[in-house]
Order: sequence, then C-alpha cells, then structure tokens
Amino acid sequence: MRPRTGLAVRAGAAAVMSILSCLASTPARAHDVSFSYADLHWKKSEIELRVTVHRDDAATVLGIAAPESLMDAAFLAGKCDALSHGLLPGLRLQGDGAAIALRLERAAVKPERRSVSLVYAASLARPVAHLRLDARLFPANPQHQTFVNVYAGERLVRQDVLTATRSATEVYAGGATGLLAVLRTFVGAGIHHIFTGPDHILFIVGLLLLGGGLGRVLRVATAFTVAHSITLAIAALGLVHVSGRIVEPLIALSIVYVGFENLRRRGAEADWRMRVAFAFGLVHGFGFASVLQEFRLPREALAASLLGFNLGVEVGQAWIVLSVMPVLGALRRWAPRLAPAAVAACSWGIILAGGWWFFQRVLTRA
Amino acid sequence: MACMKAHATCPWVLAIAAGLFVQFLAPSAFAHQYWLAPSRYQVGVGQVAEIGAVAGTGFRGERKPWSPLLCVRFVARTSRMLDLTRAASPGDLAWARFAPSDAGGAMLGYESTFTPIELSAAKFDAYLKEEGLLAALAARTRGGASRPGRERYRRCAKAWLAGNDPSRATIPLGLPLEIVPEAVPGSGADLRLKVLWMGKPVVRALVKAWRSPIGATNAPADPEARDSTAVVWTGTTDAGGEVAVPVTRPGEWLVSVVHMEPCRDPAEADWESTWASITFERPADRSAASR
Repeated sequence: MRPRTGLAVRAGAAAVMSILSCLASTPARAHDVSFSYADLHWKKSEIELRVTVHRDDAATVLGIAAPESLMDAAFLAGKCDALSHGLLPGLRLQGDGAAIALRLERAAVKPERRSVSLVYAASLARPVAHLRLDARLFPANPQHQTFVNVYAGERLVRQDVLTATRSATEVYAGGATGLLAVLRTFVGAGIHHIFTGPDHILFIVGLLLLGGGLGRVLRVATAFTVAHSITLAIAALGLVHVSGRIVEPLIALSIVYVGFENLRRRGAEADWRMRVAFAFGLVHGFGFASVLQEFRLPREALAASLLGFNLGVEVGQAWIVLSVMPVLGALRRWAPRLAPAAVAACSWGIILAGGWWFFQRVLTRA
Repeated sequence: MACMKAHATCPWVLAIAAGLFVQFLAPSAFAHQYWLAPSRYQVGVGQVAEIGAVAGTGFRGERKPWSPLLCVRFVARTSRMLDLTRAASPGDLAWARFAPSDAGGAMLGYESTFTPIELSAAKFDAYLKEEGLLAALAARTRGGASRPGRERYRRCAKAWLAGNDPSRATIPLGLPLEIVPEAVPGSGADLRLKVLWMGKPVVRALVKAWRSPIGATNAPADPEARDSTAVVWTGTTDAGGEVAVPVTRPGEWLVSVVHMEPCRDPAEADWESTWASITFERPADRSAASR
C-alpha cells in the first residue's frame, strides 16, 4: 500500500506543479526581456563566479515544464549539472587572454528572486592582470540581459550589463601589472584607430603637405595633439557629449578645409596650420572619444586607459609624420618643379575624399 | 487492484486536464501590465519609499530589475523635476529610494525603450481584442493573412506618492502615452483622468482599473505574494480623451491603457504598442490622499 500511496502523493504534487506551471506560464517570454546575474569575485589565486538565472529560463534550458520545481533544493541539486552543461557554452572567462576553466561547486535556490544560482570556482596558477567575461547565456533570446558585478576582494570594481550585441566585459587588476595591461590594451587601440581611420591620416597629411622645418611641423603636430587631448578627455569623462552626427561630418569638413587652405595659401607663410590644427583637433578629439566609448573605459583604471589611448594616437600620428615628411622633403629637393603640382594634386585628392565623407556621413546619419 | 491503479493514475490525468483548463482560462499571456510599485504611497517628510516596477497580470506580478539599457527616463515631479536614473543600480529590484522634502507629493514616471516580440496570429489577435485595440485588429483582418503578430512594445508607468500639491499630479510628465489625473489621485470617489498620446487626447481608448487592499501597516501588499485580482472597472475615453474611474474603495489602485500603431520601423516590427499605467492609493481616510 505504501508505495501506491507514495505514487499518489507524487502524482498529486505533479498535479499541483502542472497547474502552477500553467498559471505562471508566459508564452510571451519566448522573446521577452529576461535577466540573469553574474557576480565575479576576483582574488589573487582564485575566482568565484556566481551565475543566477530566473527559474523560467533555467527550466527552458532543462526542458522541464514546471519551473517552480527548481525552487526545491533537492530537485535543483539533481539538475544542476545539466543546467551547468546548458549554460557553460554561453559563458567564457579569460585571464590575460587565456581561457580559465570553471568548475561547478554548488547550486543554490534564490526563492526571493525566483531564481537559481550556480557557483563556479577557478584556480589561478599565477595572478592575472586582465579578466574578460563573455556571457551570452540564452542565445535564443536576443532580449536577454546579464547584470555583471565584479568584486576585487570585497570592493565592487565593475558593474556592467551584457546583451546579445555586447556580450563581454573586461576588468583590470590594480597595481603595476594591471596598469601595464591597461596601457598595452589602450595604446594598441589608439594606434589601431589612427591607422584604420583614413580621415585622421588625411587630415594630418594635409597639414604636412606645405612642408616647413622640423620646428614648424612639430608645432603643428603639438597643437593638434593638445587640442584633441582636451576634448578626448572631457568627452571620455562624460563631462561633455557631442553627437557623432555633428562630429563625424565636421571631421570630414576639416579635411576639405585643410585641402583648400593648402591650395589658397601655397605661397604664404604656413603658420595658419597651427591654428587650424588646434581648432579642428578639438573636433577630432570628440571623434576619438566616441571610439573610446565603444571600449567602455574601465572605471578602475580611467586615467591610465585615457592616457594609453592618447599615447597610441600620438604614436600613430608620429609614425605618419615620420613617413610623410622625408618623402615630401625628397620631392622638394630632387624635383622642385614637380613639388607644387604634386602638393596641388594631393590637396585636390584630400578635398575630394573629405567631401565624399562629408556627404556620406550626413546622408547615412540623417 | 484496478481501483488502486485508477487512484494512482487519476491525479496525473487530472494534472494535465487542470493545467489545460487553467491555460485556456488564463487571460492572454501577453497582456502583462507593468506598473511602478512604491513600498508605500503615503510618505511623510523624512520617510523613505523604495520604488520598483512590477510586470504581471491581475495586479500581481514579478518585480523587475533596473536596467539602464531599457530606460528612456525615470523621473519624479516634486517641487522640481528629479532624474532618478542616477540613483538606480543595474540589476537592483529597488530602483530608487525616495525621500520627499515637502508634503506636496511626487509623481513618478518611467518610460522604457522598445522591446520586440513575436506572437502567434491567434495569440496576437486575442490580445488586441482583450486590450480593445480594435483598429489594429481590423487592419489585420483586412490584411486577410493570419500572419504572426510582430510587435515592439514599451512601457510608460507613473505612480503618485500622496501630497497636497495638485499641480504635481495633474501636469503631464510628457511620456509618449500618459494617464494624466485631473485631480489628486485617491482624493475623491471618482478620479477623472485624461489619456494623452504624444500630448494629444486619445478618443475611445479602453481604460482598465484594478484594486488591491492595503493592510494595517499602510504598505501595499507584496506584489509577488498577493492574490491576483480581476479588473474592477473598464471604461472608454470620450471625445476629449477623458474618463472617470470610480475609485470607490480604499486600497492600492492600478489604472492602465494601451495604444497601438503601425510600427515606424517595419524592419523591426509591424506594430508598436505603448502601455501606460498609473498607480496610487485611495486611503481609508480620504484626507490622507491630499495631505
């Protein structure tokens, strides 16, 4: 009799579960906004990652009809490996660029959030300076958001929201190793941006076309650097925001302007370039800032990342100056008659390119 | 023995039958209301109310975490307009902790971004019917094909924290779809209100109201733990976009309306809906509503 009674009780419980499941079922959730949490505790030699997901999302992963059943610790304990197996493909942790293996430690019920938590741990063979967490836990739901909290010891160092379109967050350690990692990343980003942004290259080349002595060229380059550093800093710190709709066409116009000035003032003293470099440098700085914002400046290393990016831009700029100046110098020395025509041709090329970008940016951003 | 077997099997059959029964009886799954849920509506100077948001049906639901990515604005009209987004932390269920500086009251307002969703044709049509979105339903019917409902939706929720300055309650916050009271909510047996879409009155909009009792502690019941309740009143706005909601009994009230239009971005969706709500308390002692 007892087994039969037990069966009946279990069946009764299943009946209740089924009713509850249907009451709570929300087919619209298929693409509704759902949320999860990733709390990462970063210590010197180990990492703990607590992933908390809503029971409805967990039930979808597990293919079970009654999400409420996951609020039972014993039931969850039996399912946590399968749940982890379903979630881990969407979860990736890297330290200094190398994958960190996560091992499931335990599962916990969070009834107040109608959620379940999986707690992972990882041992670090050596301290890492840079962590990257990729979380796309429910790829079938493009609306899903994961709230990330990163703690260094007891201190909350990073909060982020990861989505289908931006699914990774990066955080840097404190101290010298963290600083070096920040500089490495952001100097590289600055150099990369200069060399993949032909508009900045053309602007600088345009300023150099009229030539001049080393001192004059240095003054022009410095004016540009000082100006874009100012606006890059104030925009990156969120003190001023200028829309890309305004900045990007203005950058294109700055190139057109420099091209025309080169044609107009060929015979004149070239000191106007310093003023132009400074004025338009302010505009280009806002352009650099929009790139930097895509990186999401690490709040824990704001100054270092800003400095690193700016340094990268300067390195790229210096590279262009050092490449272009000898060529122009050689041209003037070996083909003095040809040089003015070459400068004019290059100026027209710069005007056309800037004009094209201007219309393209105005039209595509309308 | 046969009887024993029947007893053991019956609950499973019952479970499935009951589940299906409830499923069919349940209101359209999409028709999830969304409202701002303060921890209390009567907040004196020096007291603090926690503000959160809830999505659910029957004035019962689940608290939603704060997401900056979903927020267009989250404000409070007091003696001046306050931006509450600065106080909110991503993932927190308590979006803000609000401590009034005077007795004038505060109108809280939240506007979300759009979220795309796709429903089967049957579910989408049922939801249009349920929310009185007859123009959209007629347009779909004219279209002939029973295509899935490709929609994007957003929320425009308000909550009134009781006070004695009617202007804070009656001046629109400027939400795309907004329920604007014409008097201090909860201060009279009828609450006359206006429904505005982009600042203009909405004619023949279906307005619904729910009520949940407030206990002796003067705090609304936990929206996740309370019993769900049926709609206590429905009405339609007149030519001026106005309607009078009979706020007959003390308690926490939710008034809601939905507006739907063809989507401005056809690549994302065919329709876009905006869900507006306002929550307030009608205290047992009516004078408390306009303290």
